[in-house]
Amino acid sequence: MLPTSSSSSSSSVLLQVPALQLKVSEKSMAENTERAPSVSFGVSPTQNRPTGFCLRRFCNQLCGCLSKESKNLPPCRKHIQKGEVQEDEFPYPSAQCLSSYYSVFVARLAIMVMLAILIGMLTILTWHFTTVYTTKSINSLAYDLRFELLQRPILRMWNILNSTAEITNAQVKLSEYVIRRYDKTVTQPQQIEMYEVMRNVTWALFASRKALNAITISYRNGFVQAFHRDHRSNNTFYIYSDLVNASITGTHMLNDLSTDHGWNDPSANGNISAIWYREPLDPVTGESTGRPRTIPPDDLINIAGLSEVPDGVASWHVAVSKFIDSPLLSAALPVWDSSNKSIVAVVGVTTALYSVGQLMRELVEFHSGYMYLTSQEGYLLATSTNAPLLRNSTTGPELMMAVDSEDHVIRLGAEWLQSTYGNKFYPNQEVHVENVKLGHQKYYIDSFFLKLKRLPMVGVIIIPRRYIMGKVDERAFKTLVTLISASVCILVVGCLCILILTNGVSKEMKLRAELISHLDARRRAEASSNYKSQFLANMSHELRTPMAAVIGLLDILICDDCLTNEQYTTVTQIRKCSNALLGLLNNILDLSKVESGKLVLEEAEFDLGRELEGLVDMFSVQRINHNVETVLDLSDDMPKVVQGDSARVVQIFTNLISNSIKFTSSGHIILRGWCERPNTFSDTMKLPLDQKESSSALKTKLKQHGNHEMRTSKKDNRIVLWFEVDDTGCGIDPSKWESVFESFEQADPSTTRTYGGTGLGLCIVRTLVNKMGGEIKVVKKNNPGTLMQLYLVLSTPVDGTRQQCSIDFSRHGLMVLLALNANMGRVIMSQWLRKNRVHTWEASEWNELTQIIREVFQASSTTPRNGFMTQCSTSETLRYEELKTHHVRSSSIIIVVDVGLLDLSTDIWKEQIKFLDKYHGKAKFAWVLNHDTSNAVKMELQRKGHLMMVKPLYKAKMVHILEAVIKERAFELQQESPNASRAPQGDLHECLEIDPIHFDVASSDDSDTFETGSFNSRRGVLQIGETSREEIITQDHKNLNNRLSEFSQNYSKNKNIENPRQIWQTSCDIEDSTCTSTYNRKASGLPELEVENSRWSGQNHRDSTKAIDGQKSLKGLCILLAEDTPVLQRVATIMLQKMGASVVAVGDGQQAVDALKCKLDAEKYRSSESPFWDGNTRFQTLLQECPLFDLILMDCQMPKMDGYEATKAIRNYEAGTGSHIPIVALTAHAMSSDEAKCLEVGMDAYLTKPIDCKLMISTILSLTKRMA
Amino acid sequence: MDVDQMQRRFADYTASLFREGFLDDQFTQLQQLQDESNPDFVVEVVSLFFEDSERLLNDLGKALDQQIVDFKKVDAHVHQLKGSSSSIGAQRVKNACIAFRNFCEMQNTEGCLRCLQQVKQEYFLVKNKLESLFRLEQQILAAGGSNPMME
Repeated sequence: MLPTSSSSSSSSVLLQVPALQLKVSEKSMAENTERAPSVSFGVSPTQNRPTGFCLRRFCNQLCGCLSKESKNLPPCRKHIQKGEVQEDEFPYPSAQCLSSYYSVFVARLAIMVMLAILIGMLTILTWHFTTVYTTKSINSLAYDLRFELLQRPILRMWNILNSTAEITNAQVKLSEYVIRRYDKTVTQPQQIEMYEVMRNVTWALFASRKALNAITISYRNGFVQAFHRDHRSNNTFYIYSDLVNASITGTHMLNDLSTDHGWNDPSANGNISAIWYREPLDPVTGESTGRPRTIPPDDLINIAGLSEVPDGVASWHVAVSKFIDSPLLSAALPVWDSSNKSIVAVVGVTTALYSVGQLMRELVEFHSGYMYLTSQEGYLLATSTNAPLLRNSTTGPELMMAVDSEDHVIRLGAEWLQSTYGNKFYPNQEVHVENVKLGHQKYYIDSFFLKLKRLPMVGVIIIPRRYIMGKVDERAFKTLVTLISASVCILVVGCLCILILTNGVSKEMKLRAELISHLDARRRAEASSNYKSQFLANMSHELRTPMAAVIGLLDILICDDCLTNEQYTTVTQIRKCSNALLGLLNNILDLSKVESGKLVLEEAEFDLGRELEGLVDMFSVQRINHNVETVLDLSDDMPKVVQGDSARVVQIFTNLISNSIKFTSSGHIILRGWCERPNTFSDTMKLPLDQKESSSALKTKLKQHGNHEMRTSKKDNRIVLWFEVDDTGCGIDPSKWESVFESFEQADPSTTRTYGGTGLGLCIVRTLVNKMGGEIKVVKKNNPGTLMQLYLVLSTPVDGTRQQCSIDFSRHGLMVLLALNANMGRVIMSQWLRKNRVHTWEASEWNELTQIIREVFQASSTTPRNGFMTQCSTSETLRYEELKTHHVRSSSIIIVVDVGLLDLSTDIWKEQIKFLDKYHGKAKFAWVLNHDTSNAVKMELQRKGHLMMVKPLYKAKMVHILEAVIKERAFELQQESPNASRAPQGDLHECLEIDPIHFDVASSDDSDTFETGSFNSRRGVLQIGETSREEIITQDHKNLNNRLSEFSQNYSKNKNIENPRQIWQTSCDIEDSTCTSTYNRKASGLPELEVENSRWSGQNHRDSTKAIDGQKSLKGLCILLAEDTPVLQRVATIMLQKMGASVVAVGDGQQAVDALKCKLDAEKYRSSESPFWDGNTRFQTLLQECPLFDLILMDCQMPKMDGYEATKAIRNYEAGTGSHIPIVALTAHAMSSDEAKCLEVGMDAYLTKPIDCKLMISTILSLTKRMA
Repeated sequence: MDVDQMQRRFADYTASLFREGFLDDQFTQLQQLQDESNPDFVVEVVSLFFEDSERLLNDLGKALDQQIVDFKKVDAHVHQLKGSSSSIGAQRVKNACIAFRNFCEMQNTEGCLRCLQQVKQEYFLVKNKLESLFRLEQQILAAGGSNPMME
């Protein structure tokens, strides 16, 4: 994914670059040509710099990547060296890294280019907007200025022309007037007078205009009068010609005009002969200041003659004189005589154009630049420079052409104009040119055509661009420089920022890539660990099968007769080892199942107390040889029924207790349990007394877990169950308290040798506890040993009633004498009894017992002393008080005696029993037997009609005893008062022999109906106890049947009955361990009868051939076998039958379901109709034989309906009834997934084919026991 | 023939069957299950196995003859055959069935056919062996000896 994205982004960048260039070129085209270079300048850094920059970065990146990669290589080699299969996975992340570097780099590049474009555009736009408009406005202003500048010299010129014209006109008019006055005078004096007048008049005019250079009057007769101002010397002269010639000419004047040509050129030709005089004058007054001197003709000023006014109109021309270095503007007008027919004189006025030049100079001085005026022909008239306008030639000074001007700029400008526009200026042609390059500078050139009659003029102004635009250009340049530098700075900073930012991003990406690779590695590791677990699970599963075979074969071998003793022990040991190995395999399987997450806790209701009792029973059997006492101490507030996975809960405690047992050689193992409602912390106060020491630790723990518990308390029916397993073993070092829960970990390696074990047990416990939402830990303990504390979070059924003791014992005024040699159990029991307000005494040995008995019965004064001495301790005086107040009745005293108190080694025990028997009427005796208590003792006690229990004595058993006593007493009272003629008391007592089972039945909800309805049958059984048993079997068949119907009735009502029956049965087996029966089961299809029969007829068949206790372990069970393969069906049937079970075999799932339904329906009929319900078909008889299936063995793959479907159907069918028939899957699949599938559809267990006999039996037994 | 001799031959023959891998301990278990109440248990079960297997082999042949082989069905048949053969301890048939099932899973018709042949071969082999075993047993019984399998 990454490489493609990077390539696409890079291509987009590649696309962007030409696009950028395109944009720029468009822009430059759109701009004016003068801006284009600057634009390209503005863009070029954004265009070129980043690419170069980026290229460098690219190189850097690449190098960096390569170096990184090379850095990465060594560790990956290391990994490869470690020899894992991960060879192909390590280059992968680095490649990923590389591609991510590329993508980061490309992203960086793209961002930089974008930034460059943005900043470039901003720069250009800013510059454009700041510069272009100012330039435009300044240009227009400059144009106006230039126009204005040029206009002013031209106006001046105009003024000069005008004033010259005016003066000329005025002179002409005055001359006309004077000449006409003296027109008639022909005399000399008069003429002189006229000239004098003319001189004065002319002077007046001349003096009035300082700008005038000269005024000349040349008369017709050749006389010339002129005033001349020499500006250089600032002298004023009066110039005149001599009168001699004037007279001659005077005559001439009267001549016709035909002689006019005679003075065509009086100054030049005509008056060569004339003598000129010049008289300096005072410039202000006009008075003569010197003597007139004769001057040479070439010193003469230009005097206008008739030739200049040939047509009698005014004429203008530009002249030059040697007295002044500027051109002169001279005008000439003729003076007409009075008749206007002839010209009497010509007036010439000469004005220097000097002042125009002066003005121009002033202007230029102020504004800089160059100006000049030329005539149409191109002669310079005035310039703003000091360059001479005239040049000296052989013929005197003459006008210069503008192109010949000495001034560099003017010459160049004129040349440019000439070359561009030619020599001819057309009228109205104006030239406005900007940025003309003259020399090294740029100039604005503007020219105007001044159209004057006879004297058209051209004005040219040349202003250096610098003058107008200099500041603007400079500003623009500075702005541009500033902008560019600013943008470059921004760009650099931006790029740096991007670099830094993307560096962070790239670092992050690197980290992320690393993280991903780590995650990947972890996932692989987890997967491989999962594979390991899976492998372990499969392996151990596969190993179990051969193990089961080994064990089975060993069993067969053990049964073999022909083994020698030695061989037998060897084989027995092999058998033990195999069992241990199997246990280990099971542990591994459990652990790996949990680890691989396969373990799914089931949520089913179960009786926690009963499970734990069964557990303690089991362990007490194991531990009875040792000096270890197993005590179960459950508080009363424990809920009876909880929801959870009973098998797993039991497993937890099995592991813990077996662990404790393993390390405890003497003392006790206490399993304490109490319930904690999260909001009632006072519950901790209800702890048993000896637990005070741990209660403080517990409180802190409670605080620790307060939050957790508050959370769990949200679901109202969740409860926290606390348990403690307290032993007096070797203990665990505090440093190992945590690690003992690790796999394959033991507290002390040295103990492994002593005690063996793998250290898997506690690990499994912890995983299971954690899975149930609890915790387990080792807690400090004062006494030697280990205290394990754990809690489980389990849910109770929503309608879970918490009542534990349905009967209030205090009401019955019961008193219990506990004569048990097991200390811990006795103390705990008596504490519990006292809490329930039952008075107790405790005795730990025989003497104590007898003493207490005597005291008690003496106190109540119902018993003779029997010659024993009474030894009252101080504390016992108190008891007497109590007894008196209680109005003790003999029947309300219960004496619980441990068989261990009897001296069994000799025959004294018989005496002891006899002694106790004396109190038989006054007290009820309940005996606590050991498992290995000899039959003789049992028989004896049985005969005495005493109640019997098997160790250990726990609460439930005690409750049974108490309830039995209460019931009996109630019955007794009933018997005594209304109907005293019933059976004697002794018989009644014997009914207690029926063991806890019956009390259990009685404690079930319909105890009353049982009590009344089954009384007869029970009595029948009592009689069995009294009389010969063989007789009874045949005699009292009716009675038995009656009882059976009672049982079956109760079955349908309460399934729980099966459990006590089971216990009973097993205890029977223990009792009759030596006696076996080959009793033919087929004769009687009724298992209960069979059980009874086998029990009682056992003695008759004691001599039968070898048979093992275990081989009949399925005795009385009725099993439905659903199997399609005939071979398997047959094999399994025989196997089960061999074990004593009755089997109904069906061919497929559908039949199984039908059979079950039929059976359940039949059960209903059976309860209402006759117990001998017979059908015609074999199937029905089969069904009839078995009252109810205890278990179904279900093949998974069957035609019509497979095992899964059938199970689902059965579970559906059961859904309403509340019953749960155990279903065991039979499958050839050996995978654990199949097991999961089996359990999922509602099966309870799982057996693989080929069927292993032992495994099958154990499974069936565990299920039937559990389900009961 | 002497009964003892026949008994010994029987034991040898049985041992050879175990040694050569035709039978496994499951057969021993079968023998264990046989007692007075079911004196012909082994023969009964084994003949059941023969019937069942022949039917299954027929079905298998038919199923594999089809244009489009229904491997599920074949697999089910083989599974059944495997179950019954393992129940009587016919180890070699069972092993052949396991291979067969693998081919079924791969949906390999050719392999299946080959395996069918193999299974058939193994089946007939074990059938012959067992039949001769039973014949021997009959002879022992006819000669007045006790049932060798029950000892």
